[in-house]
Amino acid sequence: MAESALSVRVVSPERTVFEGEARGVVAPAWDGLVGILRGHAPMITLLGAGQIVVHTGSAEQTFHVAGGLLKVEADQVTALTEYASEEPPPADVVARLRSENANLSDEGDS
Amino acid sequence: MAKEREIKRRIRSVGNTQKITRTMEMVATSKLKRATDRVRAARPYADALSDVVEGLYSPSLAEQFPVLRQPAEVQRVAVLLLCANRGFCGAFNANLIRETLRVIDRLEGDGVAVELHVAGKKGIAYFRFRGRELMTSDRGVGDQPTLEDAGRIADPLRERFEQGEIDAVHVVSAEFRTAMSTPPVTSQLLPLSGGQGRSAADAYILSPSSAAILGKTLPAYVRNRVYRALVENAAGEQGARRTAMKSATDNAGEMLETLTRTYNRARQAQITQEIAEIVGGAAALE
Repeated sequence: MAESALSVRVVSPERTVFEGEARGVVAPAWDGLVGILRGHAPMITLLGAGQIVVHTGSAEQTFHVAGGLLKVEADQVTALTEYASEEPPPADVVARLRSENANLSDEGDS
Repeated sequence: MAKEREIKRRIRSVGNTQKITRTMEMVATSKLKRATDRVRAARPYADALSDVVEGLYSPSLAEQFPVLRQPAEVQRVAVLLLCANRGFCGAFNANLIRETLRVIDRLEGDGVAVELHVAGKKGIAYFRFRGRELMTSDRGVGDQPTLEDAGRIADPLRERFEQGEIDAVHVVSAEFRTAMSTPPVTSQLLPLSGGQGRSAADAYILSPSSAAILGKTLPAYVRNRVYRALVENAAGEQGARRTAMKSATDNAGEMLETLTRTYNRARQAQITQEIAEIVGGAAALE
């Protein structure tokens, strides 16, 4: 079990889309992809539009998400997003999110 | 003879009504099952989201966000009533409307201007009838409320709160305790009660800044609060309908029993009378 030490949840308001163990997760953050492995530092980041890829041992699972946020803490990865599905989101949602995220700047935190 | 036929007609009509209420009860039961599943499915997101919001909240950030402003003086308040589009669910809608009236009375008693927003045809119809002006009315929420429904209702209220047009938003909705118990509750949607401000922000890598994350997350948080209220309401409505239809079916059964008994008595009385007449007639011939 040491191999797959991440517990991953992809949650939308309507349902829990994915819940399980994984070796790694690649998620579309607001400014680019982030990869998360075991032992990642605690992190909260906004999500953009794209695909979350959950690597479980042999296989991988992909979910489309748009917006929301990603929280990593103590090898628990939680993606909270208002859109999560096997289907890609509508194009206008993606476009709106892209333009919103382009206006954000990474000024760091006080 | 006339009485017998009349009772027979009533028996048939009550029987038909019973068939209808029993069907409605079964429909409500199956919808209730699905609705409670949705209530349960909504919990993980809501819990995780409030966890994040509380974690990031700090008093200094609160000043940056209009959503978090705590008005010193409350002058104008929005009351949002969430109720059902359909009746036949016992006192469900009536309870919600009564609670709303109570809240409005209390607020207006304190000299606060109240604007009323209603989602659900039954509430709209009531306040129309009473001649009360509705700021917004929404008929579009179905048996399975979606996040879009919540956004359509919550976002305008949030924006107006941010712009300072209203100082608070209260939501009247049904709390789904069990299928049998769905009491109306009033909760404050805005201003958000900031919590203790644990400010665990230091413990995380934040990207982008906590202000930017909160800026995107708070609207989603408000939307989600309304979404949960809608989902609970939908479940409560089905629960109330099932209870109401069950007792209607039971009552119809009881009524059928009494009617059948009356019918039999009338029929026997008729027969007895006929026999008596025949016997009387025969005796007269001898």
